[in-house]
Amino acid sequence: MYKLGRGNRDKVQQFMTITGASEKVALQALKASDWHLEGAFDFFYSQPQISAVNTRHLEDIFNRYKEPDADMIMVEGISQLCNDLQVDPQDIVMLVISWHMKAATMCEFTRQEFIGGLQSIGVDSIEKFRAKLPSLRAEIKDDNKFREIYNFAFTWAREKGQKSLSLETAIGMWQLLFAERNWPLLDHWCQFLQVRHNKAISRDTWAQLLEFVKSIDPQLSNYDDEGAWPYLIDEFVEYLTENGLVQRTK
Amino acid sequence: MAGQERRTIDLEEGWAFMQKGITKLKNILEGKPEPQFSSEDYMMLYTTIYNMCTQKPPHDYSQQLYDKYRESFEEYITSMVLPSLREKHDEFMLRELVQRWSNHKVMVRWLSRFFHYLDRYFISRRSLTPLKEVGLTCFRELIYQEIKGQVKDAVIALIDKEREGEQIDRALLKNVLDIFVEIGLGQMDCYENDFEDFLLKDTTEYYSVKAQSWILEDSCPDYMIKAEECLKREKERVGHYLHISSEQKLLEKVQNELLAQYATPLLEKEHSGCSALLRDDKVEDLSRMYRLFSKITRGLEPISNMFKTHVTNEGTALVKQAEDSASSKKPEKKDMVGMQEQVFVWKIIELHDKYVAYVTDCFQGHTLFHKALKEAFEVFCNKGVSGSSSAELLATFCDNILKKGCSEKLSDEAIEDALEKVVRLLAYISDKDLFAEFYRKKLARRLLFDKSANDEHERSILTKLKQQCGGQFTSKMEGMVTDLTVARDHQTKFEEFVAGHPELNPGIDLAVTVLTTGFWPSYKTFDINLPAEMVKCVEVFKEFYQTRTKHRKLTWIYSLGTCNINAKFDAKPIELIVTTYQAALLLLFNGVDRLSYSEIVTQLNLSDDDVVRLLHSLSCAKYKILNKEPANRSISPNDVFEFNSKFTDRMRRIKIPLPPVDEKKKVVEDVDKDRRYAIDASIVRIMKSRKVMGHQQLVAECVEQLSRMFKPDFKAIKKRIEDLITRDYLERDKDNANMYKYLA
Repeated sequence: MYKLGRGNRDKVQQFMTITGASEKVALQALKASDWHLEGAFDFFYSQPQISAVNTRHLEDIFNRYKEPDADMIMVEGISQLCNDLQVDPQDIVMLVISWHMKAATMCEFTRQEFIGGLQSIGVDSIEKFRAKLPSLRAEIKDDNKFREIYNFAFTWAREKGQKSLSLETAIGMWQLLFAERNWPLLDHWCQFLQVRHNKAISRDTWAQLLEFVKSIDPQLSNYDDEGAWPYLIDEFVEYLTENGLVQRTK
Repeated sequence: MAGQERRTIDLEEGWAFMQKGITKLKNILEGKPEPQFSSEDYMMLYTTIYNMCTQKPPHDYSQQLYDKYRESFEEYITSMVLPSLREKHDEFMLRELVQRWSNHKVMVRWLSRFFHYLDRYFISRRSLTPLKEVGLTCFRELIYQEIKGQVKDAVIALIDKEREGEQIDRALLKNVLDIFVEIGLGQMDCYENDFEDFLLKDTTEYYSVKAQSWILEDSCPDYMIKAEECLKREKERVGHYLHISSEQKLLEKVQNELLAQYATPLLEKEHSGCSALLRDDKVEDLSRMYRLFSKITRGLEPISNMFKTHVTNEGTALVKQAEDSASSKKPEKKDMVGMQEQVFVWKIIELHDKYVAYVTDCFQGHTLFHKALKEAFEVFCNKGVSGSSSAELLATFCDNILKKGCSEKLSDEAIEDALEKVVRLLAYISDKDLFAEFYRKKLARRLLFDKSANDEHERSILTKLKQQCGGQFTSKMEGMVTDLTVARDHQTKFEEFVAGHPELNPGIDLAVTVLTTGFWPSYKTFDINLPAEMVKCVEVFKEFYQTRTKHRKLTWIYSLGTCNINAKFDAKPIELIVTTYQAALLLLFNGVDRLSYSEIVTQLNLSDDDVVRLLHSLSCAKYKILNKEPANRSISPNDVFEFNSKFTDRMRRIKIPLPPVDEKKKVVEDVDKDRRYAIDASIVRIMKSRKVMGHQQLVAECVEQLSRMFKPDFKAIKKRIEDLITRDYLERDKDNANMYKYLA
């Protein structure tokens, strides 16, 4: 899977002999510590679950939720899972979980995604999983993780085979994501899209909106009309000022 | 004396002899009766010096003689020259000075000859000041330094007198000023520091006072006449008595005081300033204004700005005028570009002619004014009149001139001239691609319906367009014209073919124009059900075309065809000139008398829109070939139609027009689509060579690249950039959203 130099390969071997961890875990830990063995051990032992997860348990959990006639967890399995975890399927924590699972599509987990996800979260039972929810939910607060989750959401939520995200889904996702962030212009943005745009959202617009939300203050005082903001965001700014929704201060 | 021991001359003796000679010289200079120096006198004096300098020390008196030489001048100056100068004043003093200076120069010349031997050895060996210079320096130190102030004042007073129109002795001034130059012994600093600076200061004051009152009293043209006259006089003044190096400085002062200082109030004078002159076509005054202000740094800028504003206003007024007359027109004719628009373009051409002449004549073709004219025309030439863009107006204008039976009877030269000018106006239009598209549409109509009045004009305007906009701009149009020439040739071949194969003769005369798809505007093709007669024609032609070429596919555009059909009416047969569609519809009635709307639609296999249009032209318009039930002026799906055999007309041949569909929207859409491709191509071209580029820079370069054809909208460019990002041609830099990277 990875092309490794001899030195690095030795380190992986060494790591595996000492910790008894799988090659995957070894790689993960070594990469996280920039190929310093000492650092990798620290990383490894600070996340004790990594090693503790028993793949057998994980298979069992997966089998509990999977579709009878496919090797996948689909809508029903997910709602069952939500039930067991005692969360609303609309809860943003489900997005975070999907992100950990690196799920390719909304409402679907492949075996590999699911088991890999649980491993990376570090749980091997529903109880542990449920106990883990608060800390998963807290990951949203982390700026870097939020950005990753935000960008992940685009690919995750779009229809198979589509390049862009349908407007309806996009708005739903934005409402979900930005509810956490308290973006004051969120309602205007959603309304603007429905009134003026009514088309799918491109990845670029999606990604740039986060930058907009993060860097532009709600009075738009630091908005550069000549800048490279996507066309749609330009229009939005125009819409806000035209309709007197924001008094621009320059 | 050779071989003989020379007698030593001691200093007193020798000097006494020299003194005599010097006194004689002074007397001559003072005009006292005294015989001229003979060459013998001169020889004696020179020899004395020679002897005194060549004696063995301690009898070598070189140093003493060198000092005495200077003292002789000093003595003469203090005893004679200064007193006589001191008692005189003003002009008299100047005259005395001139006299004394010339005397002094004579004295220097003679004395330096007497003492010449000193120059040759003593002075050059010791690097002392040469005799001549010593003489002149004496004058400078003793006289010039004392009276230079008075002299300067006297001279300037005279110059001011002359400025006020008095006669003065110019030769005297010339001589006095020459002293300032000569006394510098090759340096100009005496002239510059002791005279010129003061003159310039005086000049500044003099004209500053003048300007203050003139700007209040005089109109702008009068003021400019005065200013020009002053400048002329000052220039002459330099020629008459000032040193040539003063010309530039002096004129600059005058220009500064009279023009630069008062540029704004002068140019903006309410009833006579630049705008008023432009309004009243005061060509001569404007030329003068140009001449005067062209010499001032940034002096032309305000004028060119006013010129631009003026032309913009004139042009905008024309637009408004056209707009008004268009809106007062009857509403049903609004969509057609009519006479008003034609008149409008003529007026714009006229305006252009007028102000081009201004630029070349009044403003001597200065780039600033060319630019102003261009910018002004760009403003109103891109406005458009009542929904028609200017690109369309110009294309229509050309069409009106080039087509047969054009309403204006123009000579060939006049047409050429008009075309030339339209093409020049095109330079101001930012949407050149839109013009090209409209032009192509109109050209297609002219060519296909044989409406073009003159082949030569058609080719000539294409040449002009090519020159101005490049070969790419006209290649399609040229292709169209060529297509038609080829088509004529084809037609003869086809006729020969039919004559050669009588069994194939369809019984109808058929003319087909084969066009190259890419050159022509795109036309919709419908699978109309042609009448059997026509189908046969098509087949015959196809067969013929097969013999010509194997690799080309024929697409038939029936909507562009015309037919001449004979209709047998009760009164008399009439030849009807109709479109192929109309003919196909009429031929349906050969078989039956009555047909319902829906029957016609199914039999023709045309769209409702087309059928309605056809039926309207045949049953509701001027010539009612078909009777309609119910007989009203609009077509509805329940109508029934019948051949009107009672129809007649006083003509034997009539043309039944089919109103053309308004193609404006389609043209604009087509152009929009082409633009998207053009922007995409431009962005990719730029990014391919730059790899990484900032947003603003990319937009700027893209605009620059495309500006020859059209002025792309920033938003449009942005949209295309985003589209290219979506299509993975570009990506944003991870750390800087303002940077794009090219993805190969």
